[in-house]
Amino acid sequence: MAITNPSVATLAVPLHVLQARRIRRFYIMLTVFFVVVQLVWIGTPILMAVLWSLVNPDYPWSFPNLFPTHLAPAPWIYVFKYTNIIRALKTSYSVAPFAVALSFLFSLPTAYVLGRKNIPGKKIFNLIVLLPIIMPGMVVALFLSRVFTALHLSQTFFGLVLAHTLMGLPYMIRVLTTSFQTIPQDVIDAAENLGAGTFVKIRDVFLPMVRPGLLAGMIFAFTTSIEEFNLTFVIGTPTFETIPTILYSFMGYNFIRTNAAVVALVMMTPNIIMLFIVERFLKSDYLSASLGKM
Amino acid sequence: MKDDSITPIHYVMLLPGVGFIILFLGSSIFLTVAQSFGLFSITGHSRFTLDNWKVIAAQESLDSVFFSLKMGILSSIGTVLFTFPVALFLRKGGAGKGFLGSLIKIPLFIPALVAAFLIVNLISYHGIVNELLMKLGLLKEPLRMLNDKFGWGVIVIQIWKNLPFVLLILMASLASVRDDTVDAARNLGAGTWQVLFKIYIPLTMPGILVSMILMFIKAFGDFPITSIAGPPYPSSIAFRMHATATLYQEWDQAAVLGVIIIGSALFVIWAYSRLADLVKGGE
Repeated sequence: MAITNPSVATLAVPLHVLQARRIRRFYIMLTVFFVVVQLVWIGTPILMAVLWSLVNPDYPWSFPNLFPTHLAPAPWIYVFKYTNIIRALKTSYSVAPFAVALSFLFSLPTAYVLGRKNIPGKKIFNLIVLLPIIMPGMVVALFLSRVFTALHLSQTFFGLVLAHTLMGLPYMIRVLTTSFQTIPQDVIDAAENLGAGTFVKIRDVFLPMVRPGLLAGMIFAFTTSIEEFNLTFVIGTPTFETIPTILYSFMGYNFIRTNAAVVALVMMTPNIIMLFIVERFLKSDYLSASLGKM
Repeated sequence: MKDDSITPIHYVMLLPGVGFIILFLGSSIFLTVAQSFGLFSITGHSRFTLDNWKVIAAQESLDSVFFSLKMGILSSIGTVLFTFPVALFLRKGGAGKGFLGSLIKIPLFIPALVAAFLIVNLISYHGIVNELLMKLGLLKEPLRMLNDKFGWGVIVIQIWKNLPFVLLILMASLASVRDDTVDAARNLGAGTWQVLFKIYIPLTMPGILVSMILMFIKAFGDFPITSIAGPPYPSSIAFRMHATATLYQEWDQAAVLGVIIIGSALFVIWAYSRLADLVKGGE
């Protein structure tokens, strides 16, 4: 039966379909709204930092101008030429890999036991593992520095690595523990039945199966090390400067906004690139695994 | 099925991770507590004394404690309030949400100090926010949002920096709310607000509490953000402790402040976990 009357044709669209369309349109509008809000929320601060890092010192950017009138790479040249930023970058990016490697080595056996064995006192061990995150950073830093001084670790590279390892361990252990929990016992049994020894089991069963979690843990440990401030500030300065401590010094008594902007950008760009590269390993279950169950 | 045979070797295997943390963290916490009572003192002779605890009575210490408490509480509430709607919206996949998700996560990877600097640029006296509000005619005088007496600048930075962190925790606990539950409530005539207050919020309460604990501890014990964006007086308790130790060389008094910080953190964790038990028991 052909419908000829146009008004009947519109009526023929059932009400629930119309409603569904309206809901879908509402959701699209909501998505657009959230994206715009986020672009402003995240984008403006970053844009302002970029602008500040390019202000020509001969034409200062001040009150009535909403945007700088003259742009020049002068602040970048100044910061890289006359400040310790290159040394700080070197320190930051050489401490971090060591800290990640150490926390991985320390975590592996611990996470295995916590993930696969019903060891008595497991709850307490799980809580202890979280302590470096839970304890307020400056208290730990201040009094750990006393311990480090007694052990002759203060103001040394190794001491810095140990301190950063301590802060990275909670993420690494919790994430690896969850990864170990998800390995099916069948696979381990099968490997054992086929005559795999401890070493072969670690190499061919455990390591491949915990790899996604391992990557997530490494990323967290790495970024924790890169942005660690309290411990580095107390234990490392003045012998060692990392990017956070140098930024802190730029924002303190001798606050020069253009220079601070350069350091801020130098500090965050690698991290943001890393975020987009590793996005797929950063599923929320890893973080909730490491922190959600306290 | 897990292998349940426990041998002493398993305790040895715990040592690298748990032992490392106990060794360094335990020793520093022990030192904090011991020094607050005058033991293991570096300055002169060590003896048990309660004299150092008089530092609490000083007006400056009290002000710092209350200021940091205020920052901790307001930052944790503020972040959760800002994050919950976003988490709720991102619960279901849809067009553009993958992009939105990555966009939101950016501050997670921006170090706290950088975040502080970024926001300082916006909210400073002649920053873009004040300028825009004045151009729009909403303000006659710029607002003092940075280094203000109340500490709004600090709270804004804490929210900006920690929103994605809290989002990850809230998303994980929202994922455990089953669609059936929501549908059932709707079928029984629950409106949007009722679904929110009777379904989503109660069922995600553990996640909300965990994120509030972590946020409180971060903001309460914060050193760098408050020293950059906070008011000239009072300083945060962490800053006061650091200054007491390194500037005035009063390590024993600093230890007292350290004990207060650790104690407050532990108390908050305990209170929240009691609250979480109550929430669980109520269902």
